[in-house]
Amino acid sequence: MTSGRLRISIRDLSKTFTEGAREVPAVAGVSFDIHDQEFVAIVGPSGCGKSTILNMIGALVAPSGGRILVDGRQVTSDPPPGVGYVFQKETVFPWRTVERNIALGLEYRGLAASERAARVREAIKLAGLEGFEEAFPATLSGGMRQRVALMRSLIVEPEILLMDEPFGALDTHTKLDLHGELLTLWEAKHQTVVFVTHDLSEAITLADRVIVMTRRPGRIKLIYDVKLPRPRDVIRIRESEEYLREYGQIWHALGEEFRGSA
Amino acid sequence: MKRRDWRVIAWRLAILVLFIGAWQWLTGIKAVSKTPGLYWIDPFFISRPSLILERFLYLTSDKVRLNIWQMALSTVQSTIWGFLVGISTGFVAGLVLGRNDRVARIFEPYIIAFNSLPRIALVPLITMIFGFGLLAKIVLAWSIVFFIVFFNTFQGARSVDADFIHSARFLGASERQIMSTVIVPSALAWTFASLTPSISFALIGVVVGEFIGGESGGGLGYLIIQSLGTLNAADMMVALLVLGVIGIVMALGIKQVEARLLRWRPEYQKR
Repeated sequence: MTSGRLRISIRDLSKTFTEGAREVPAVAGVSFDIHDQEFVAIVGPSGCGKSTILNMIGALVAPSGGRILVDGRQVTSDPPPGVGYVFQKETVFPWRTVERNIALGLEYRGLAASERAARVREAIKLAGLEGFEEAFPATLSGGMRQRVALMRSLIVEPEILLMDEPFGALDTHTKLDLHGELLTLWEAKHQTVVFVTHDLSEAITLADRVIVMTRRPGRIKLIYDVKLPRPRDVIRIRESEEYLREYGQIWHALGEEFRGSA
Repeated sequence: MKRRDWRVIAWRLAILVLFIGAWQWLTGIKAVSKTPGLYWIDPFFISRPSLILERFLYLTSDKVRLNIWQMALSTVQSTIWGFLVGISTGFVAGLVLGRNDRVARIFEPYIIAFNSLPRIALVPLITMIFGFGLLAKIVLAWSIVFFIVFFNTFQGARSVDADFIHSARFLGASERQIMSTVIVPSALAWTFASLTPSISFALIGVVVGEFIGGESGGGLGYLIIQSLGTLNAADMMVALLVLGVIGIVMALGIKQVEARLLRWRPEYQKR
C-alpha cells in the first residue's frame, strides 16, 4: 500500500531527553515513510518513544537528530499546515459547550456564524451527539468527550491526522464503538493517519500498516502490512481467521519486547 | 422544601430567640439590688437588645443628620467600587505577569514587599493623599482586593494546560486567539474562585478606612468610631448588625454570580 504520494518522511530520527544530569535516549535512528491516505499505527511497550515520534511530527517536541519532512517540508517549531492532532489527555475545553468546542477551528479561521453553525450541526450528527449541543463536557461520558475531540479535529478537514492513544482511557466497549466510528469517518475522507497505541488489537483493527517499536530507546522492530479487507467491521473482524493470523505474527515480535522489559 | 430543611430552620430560629432572650434577661439583673448601675452583666459594655432596637429606630428616623441607611449606602458603594476596580486591575496584572516570565521576575520582589505590608498601616497615608472622602476608602479596598485577585489570576495563567494550547494551535489559532479562547477562560476560573474572599476583604478595607475617614466619608465604620467616642455600645451594635447583613447579602450575591460564570464546572452542574 505504498502507492500514493509521500506525505511524511522520517529519516534517522532520534530524541534524547535530559533529566537533570542524566541523558535518556527515547528514540534512536528511526526511519519510515507514510504515504497519502495511509492509516499507520505505531505500537510498542510503554516508554518506547512512540508518542515522542508523534510529537516530533507535530512539532511539539524538537528532534535531537535526523529529519522529518511533512509534504516535503521540514518540520519547524510550528505545527505543519493541514495536520490535526488528537491527544490522549482530554483536551476538550471544559468551559465551552459541545457545539462551541467543535466550532473552535472554524472560529479561528473566521468563518461566518451561519456557515459555522451548519458545519457544526453536520459534525454533531456524524458523531451521534445530537441533544448534547448545549451540554458542558463535565456532564458527558469519557467516550462522548473523546468524540467531541475527534470531531473538533476533523471539522477543519486536516489531510493528516496524528492520534496519540486517543481511546487509551476508555473501556473496551466504548473503544470498539469509537473504532467503528473512526473507520466510518476515515472511509469517507481517507485522511493520512498516524495512530499511536499500546493496544495491538486496536492497531490491527484500524491500520493498513503497523510499525512495531522496540523497548527504550525506541527503534523500529518490524513494519507489518495488515492484509485485512476494507471496509472492516470492528466487531466481526476480531473473529476472523485472518485477524488472528495477523495478530499472531505481530504479537510474536511485540512479545519479545514485552518479555525484555519485564 | 423538605421536612428536614424546616427542622434546621426551626433550630436556627430557636437559637436566635434563646440568644436574644438571654442577652435581654441577663443584662437586666442587678448585682446589688436598688443600687443603680451595678449589673451582673453590664449593658454599658454589650448593650441590650431592647436598647439596640430603640437606637436603631432612632438612627433610621430623620431626627439624625445622617441616618443609618445613608451610612450603609456609603459603605456599600465604596465596597463595590473598590471590589470592581480591584478585580479588574488584579485580573489584568495577573494575566500579564502570569504569561510573561521576565516581567514576573522583575516585579516579584516589589509585589511581595507591598503585599506583606499590613494594609491598615497605609490608612493614614491613603487618607492624606486621597482626602477624607469616598475615594480614600475605595483605594484602600482596592489595595487589598487587587492582590487577592492578582495572585489567583497569576496562578491560573501559569497553570494553563499546555495541551489545551497545543490543541488550539493545531486547530489554527493565532497567538491572540489562544489568549482569548484558552488562557483567559482558564485563568478566569481561578479569578472567580477569589471573588468571595475579595468582597469580604473589600468590606474590611472600607470599614477600616471609615474609622479614620471622618464624617465626610460617612459610612458605618464612622458610626462605630463615633460611638466609641461617646461610649455608646448600642450604636455600635446597630452598626455591626447592619454590617453583618451587608456582608451576608454581598457574599450570597457573589455566590450567584460565581455559579453562573462557572456553570461549566462539575460542582455547579445540576445533574
